[in-house]
This record gives sequence, structure tokens and C-alpha cells, in this order.
Amino acid sequence: MFGMATNALPGNDFAACTGCSLCLLVCPVWRATHDIRLTPHGRAKALQHGATAVDLIESIASCTFCGACEPACPEGIDLIGMIVGLRQQLPASSARNLSVAQTPLHSSSRSQSPAHGAPSVVLADQSLRDHPDILACVVSLLGVQNNDDNGADISCALETGTLVSPSRIEAFVEPLQRKGRIVVADGLLLRHLRAWLPRTRIESIGAALSRLPALRRQLRSSDLYVIEPRGYHADYERQVRHYDALRVETGCETNLDLQRIAIPAIARNLSQRLDASVPRDLESARWILHRRRMSRIVVESVDDIRVFEQITDCPVVHVAHLVDPPATTERGAW
Amino acid sequence: MTTTPVTTATPTALAGTAGYCPVAPDSLAGVTRRQTNPSRWAGDGWAAFVAELASRDVEVLTGAAVRGLFATDAGGTAYGLPHGVVIARSASQVSALLQTAQWYRVPITVRGGGLTTEGESVAFGGVLLDMTGMSRVLHVDAQALTVRTEAGIFWHSLAEELRRHGLDYCSAPLNLTSSVGGTVNVGGIDVNSPRLGCSADQVIAMQVVTPTGDIVECSDAKNAELFERVILGYGQFGVVTEATLQVRRYTPLRMRYFYYTSLRSAITDLKLLDANDASDYSGILTMMDRAVNLLVAFDSPEREATFIADWQPRLRGHGEVAFAIRAAAYYAIRPWKVGEALYIYRRKRELFPQFERPEFLRGDDLHDRTVVFSRAVWKFWGSRQMVIPDLATSADRFIEAVERGNAVCRKYFAHYTLYCVGIKLRDDHRAHYEMSCIPPGAMDRAYGCEFEPMTSGRAYSRDYLQSFKNEIYDIGVDIGASYYRFGGMMKGYIRRVFGDAVVDRHLAMKRAADPGMILNRDVIF
Repeated sequence: MFGMATNALPGNDFAACTGCSLCLLVCPVWRATHDIRLTPHGRAKALQHGATAVDLIESIASCTFCGACEPACPEGIDLIGMIVGLRQQLPASSARNLSVAQTPLHSSSRSQSPAHGAPSVVLADQSLRDHPDILACVVSLLGVQNNDDNGADISCALETGTLVSPSRIEAFVEPLQRKGRIVVADGLLLRHLRAWLPRTRIESIGAALSRLPALRRQLRSSDLYVIEPRGYHADYERQVRHYDALRVETGCETNLDLQRIAIPAIARNLSQRLDASVPRDLESARWILHRRRMSRIVVESVDDIRVFEQITDCPVVHVAHLVDPPATTERGAW
Repeated sequence: MTTTPVTTATPTALAGTAGYCPVAPDSLAGVTRRQTNPSRWAGDGWAAFVAELASRDVEVLTGAAVRGLFATDAGGTAYGLPHGVVIARSASQVSALLQTAQWYRVPITVRGGGLTTEGESVAFGGVLLDMTGMSRVLHVDAQALTVRTEAGIFWHSLAEELRRHGLDYCSAPLNLTSSVGGTVNVGGIDVNSPRLGCSADQVIAMQVVTPTGDIVECSDAKNAELFERVILGYGQFGVVTEATLQVRRYTPLRMRYFYYTSLRSAITDLKLLDANDASDYSGILTMMDRAVNLLVAFDSPEREATFIADWQPRLRGHGEVAFAIRAAAYYAIRPWKVGEALYIYRRKRELFPQFERPEFLRGDDLHDRTVVFSRAVWKFWGSRQMVIPDLATSADRFIEAVERGNAVCRKYFAHYTLYCVGIKLRDDHRAHYEMSCIPPGAMDRAYGCEFEPMTSGRAYSRDYLQSFKNEIYDIGVDIGASYYRFGGMMKGYIRRVFGDAVVDRHLAMKRAADPGMILNRDVIF
């Protein structure tokens, strides 16, 4: 029912790649390595010339799923779908360096039913759950309930290329059909939910919060506002206008590049995220700050707080903390 | 070196026309003026070559996936596989590669953005040197308005860095993924080239690795002869590893469009504006020859106001509404051309919103025009198969060149685009221009026109496309023009256009600089 047999979204495939390289310009992996093999262009061209998923395992593993390449692609290739599909093609033995399918990366309380009857829910990922103060602010500001089933196992499976049973996706998605609005922390899940539930209002936490007038009033022209890339790119055509309007209204700077693509504060693939011994590569965050002067950094992703705190003395605040929840009466500006 | 070279004799040791000439008219015997893919290098001594490079810490990637990645260029009509790929990381690594390649006589094909259309950046055997591995910006001097950068960098990536300094490059191709090194080797034309010249003329100094592996810094004042040859040298005389470029302060721009039904009128107006420095940017972009768009743009409101007062009244172009009425009247009495009318209407409806996306507009100002232009270029002109023959002429022959080229386009294709722009020339760089896209007879300003068929959704044979290109290039021979894309599959025209004396002199210089004739051998020599 929800097209979960392959977990892929419809779109052009690698055969449509003309080799224009526009995806390179926005790819954080390319920026870090300058190795074309590790880019969507590199994968598509290799596939056009007979490479298999196994031939491309290093490239496949390197992708951070930030989704920046998709809006940049003039051919409209489903590049995230392509990488999901390639990961699914890897034999289990080859996929060892992606192996988190059995890892409890995120907890997903599936034993409890979702918040039935609530018009709006938030699907908080584990990072947000680890910051209950921020989660409480989000819930309060947006007037949503925290959904027990956050779909983390599905998102994890999508990223690792593990097939999810249709019954599990059905169990996750079916109750969500009755929600008027779904706010999602995980951009990869957001991307798929938009395909599975095309008639439901779905957006990222950052986009939902930054829509609130009370919050917008707190943004200053000297702020650097850091957009969470996955959710932004998953809903690019709408969000590019939303954040452009935000910038015009508040005067704040953002982490968008000249193409209006979001630069991630930290670009890590799944293996790097799981391996605590791998030091964080902070170059991307440094690039965001390069030659910028700001009095405050406002982030949408809770993970970005620590990243920026490591490299700057500038105050870093989560967007949900810009206003005091009890004072907020302008909920749900949809 | 401990191993014996596979070939010790230089294939053609004598200069001039003595011996084998790779660009002689008879080098394509039996295939009159039709260069097909060159024969592939056979691979003699490859294993020893790779081993030698490994001993010098140069990694050669030989997997099928990475070789396949570089099997063609943006043109998509020339296909070839390298034996191996080297991702450039430093000048010393490139030097080691070229020294070893000279010894073993292994051809090296250098690739930046891979945006050639005639197979110039396709390796028919040997090594493909991917320069995008050298993409760092090394130093920005905001006071002197210069930047030092590694040459594999894409112009857009350079722009990203420059913008953080409030700067922008002067002129670059309307394509974000052209590389700096590749561009300075061939020219680089922008819609501000009528004022600022081509990208190659913005280069102040370069670090070049010569075909024999020497790492040389060159400029107009230092090693000027090498500088002269490498600029607009089509990669024949060295690999550009770093470049110092003139840059400028960033400004958004204000654009205006004028619509014509006549190429001749539009070109006349374009030349009028250029000759009088009436705009900061100018160019012509067509949808067929009945919908001709003269684009002008300005870096400041003051420049725009002067244009409106002094020059706009003299233009013969129309606004959008007046043009639409004229076009409707024209096609109303020519119902057999309804297909063409619908094509123009559909194209306009799809294309124009791309130039008006709100995230790039602030009031009347267009920001990041290169992003806007480049996205449109790829979205509306890009396809798996692209041929873009061109003619570059002096100002006085330009209308003739465009009109004759347009007639060829009409003969071959249902839909096509012409892109015309002027190129300001530098008197002090005359020597750079020899045997380049700049036509010998052009003074002060040259003009170029690209003729691009819309091939999306249609499949054309390579012979058909080649015949089309030949007809365009024959016009160039006839009127004494030059071409931007005279390498690769079009190099059969080199002697016809430039003449034996010039070609022989350059061939002799090439043989002296590159004894093994290994560097970019399928581009020119």
C-alpha cells in the first residue's frame, strides 16, 4: 500500500545522469575528499558503465544521506532512492561496514499505540529524545503530541539498505494517516513519509518552529541560523521559499550556499556516526562559519549544538529555546 | 628510473611538416573531414609504468568502475576508456606522473570539469588525470583583488569562497562545473566578456607542470614564453596546477530583455551596445531564429539609468507583450508553422520562471546570476548528447557567420539555440591568441556564436551530428573565422583554419616541449 517493497521513491534513475557534476558542488563528501568516485555523479556514471553495487561499496558507504544532491540535479534523478536501492543490493557480507540493521540505533517504542485522536504529532528522533527539555519545548510550541512510535527502526533500515517488512511499515504509517499534521525530526523519514502520506501535512521540526511568529520575532540580523539539511532538502521547493522569506524578514544569515542548498554542520555517514572512536570532522562546520560574523548561532538540529560549541565561543541555541513555551500562544501557524 | 623505456625514439622527432603530422589534411584518409574516435593507445609497458609510479607514491586507479566514470565527456559522442585514472593531489605528484609517462610514452589526458564536447577530455587509453582532486583555494587578497587557487577547482566552488570575502570572479563560462584550469586553456566566455574579456585573460600567473615534469611558475613577466603558450593552449604545453586570477567586488545585477524577430537586428544592437560600453553584460540567446532575446544587465542602478536614457530608445527590440503580439500575427498567417510557435511558447513558459525564482531576487536585483544561468543551462540545454559547433569572428563578419550558421541549423534540426556574445581583447595578450579561439583578424573585440541543437528526446547518429558540425565549420573556413572547439573530433579543421605556417610553428614548439607527445595528444597534436 505504501510502496514499501523497495522503499524507493519514484523518479529518474542513474541512466538519466548526463555527468554535469552539479551534485558535486553541494556534496559534503566531495567537499571533504575531492574524490569524484564518492559522489552521486561518480556512482551514476560507474553504474552506466556496468559497475555493480559491490564495486561501489566504498562510495555507497560514504554517503551521508543529507539529500543536497537531489534538488541540485537538473535531471531530477532520485538520488537518495538510488543510494537506498544500492545499499539494498549489497549482500549481507559486503554490507558489514553498514551493518546497523540489528543495532538499536534508535529506540522505537512500538508496543504502545500512537497518540490516537491527537490532530498533530511529532516524531522525535533519539537525539531529540535525549534532550527532553528541548523536546518539551517543541511539543509545547507546536501544540503536538510526541508520538511513541518514531519510526526510527524504519529510518535506520532505509539508511542501511535493510528491507523492512510491509507489516511494520503498515503499522507505522496507518495510524499517522489520521493525523492532520506530522512534524518529523528525521529528514530521511520525512522524505518517505511525504511519499507515503501525500495528503498529510508533514514538515521538519525546524521548518515548523521557524514558522511561528513569536519565534521569528526573536531572530536577529546578527544571528546565524543553521537549517537541518535532511528535512530541508527532502522538501526543497517549499522550504527554499520558506527560509528565503525568513531571511528577508529577520535579516539573519543561514547555512545555505549560493545554490540555496544547506551545508551540514557535520557530514558523517552511518558508520562514522555509529563508531564513537571516529573523531568528528568539524571542517564542514568551520566552513559554515568561515569569515562570518554573528552574535549567536541558532540551530535546528540538537546534534549541531555540540558541534558548534566545539569550534566557537559564540553562543549556540536550539531554535526551540528562542522563546519560552508557556508564553507562546501562537501555536500551529498552519 | 631503473627500467628500460618501451619506446626510446620520439615518434616524430623533426619539426614542421616533415614526418607524420597528426593534423595533416590526409590524416583522416577515407573519412573526409570527419574525425571519428582516435585509435586507442595499445598499452605497451603499462604494468611497468604503474609499478614505477607506485614506487613514486603515485596511485593509479585501474578498476572498471572508476575508468568507466570517465568514458565520455559532456558531449557524449566520443567514448574511450583510460587504462587507469590518477586523481591529482599536488604539483609534485603530477610532475612524477608526467616524467614517468615521458619515459614510458604513456599518453596523459587531463580532465577538469569534463565539459568538452569533442572528446578532448576523453582518454583513449593511457592515463586520465582528474584535476578536480586539486580544488583548494590557497589565498585571497581582497585588497589587491586577486585569488590564488588550485586549478582543478570548479568556478562555482571558487565563487563560494570569494563570496565570503565580498568578491566574485571576473568572467567565467555560464556553467558552474567548468574548472579554472580547463577554462584558461581554452578561453572562457561570459556575458560580461564584451567588457572584461575571456577568463584566460584574467590570469595573472600560473603554476604549470610541463610535459616533461618541470614545475614552473609563469606570468607575463616570468617565464613569459611558457605563460604565452599555456594560456589558450588547449592543454598542449603543460598542466595548470595553480592559478592567480584577477577578481572583483561582488555585485548583484539588474537584467533587461529585448525581443527580436530578426537575428540581424539583434546582432546589430548587440554590437552597438558593446561598442559604446552601454551595459555591463550583454548577449543573445535564441529560441530558433524567430524569437531572439537580447539580454543586457548592469552592476549598478546608475549604469542601468544611463542605459535607459541613452541607449534603450535606439534599440530595435521589443518588450515581451509587443513581441508576443508580433509573433502571434506572424504565426497566424503561417499555420504550417504552428509546431514552431508552440515550441517557442512552451519553451518560454518553462524557461523564464527559472530566471525569476524569488530566492535569487531582491527587488530588482538578481543575486548569484551564475547559479541561475548554470542551472538553466543544464536543465534546458543539457542532455546525454550535445554538439555545440561555434564560429568566432571579427565584429564585421559576425552577422554573416551567424546567419549562415543559422541556415545550417534550420536544415539539420527542428529546434536549436544560438548563443552570441562579444569578447573584449587585450592588445598586450595578442601573442596568447595565436592558434586559439580568437580569430586573427579581430581587433578590440571578437564575437562568438554557439549553434546548439536541442537533442533531448531524439537520437541522432554521430555521422549526422558530425556532418552538421562540418557544415558550420566550413563556413568558418570560408570567412576566415576561428572556433572555440577545434580540438578532438574537429581537429581536421586546424590546418584549414590556421594555415600551415602557424600550425607548423606550434607543432615544432609542441615537439620540443613534449618529446613523447604524451600530453593531451587527442586534443590538438
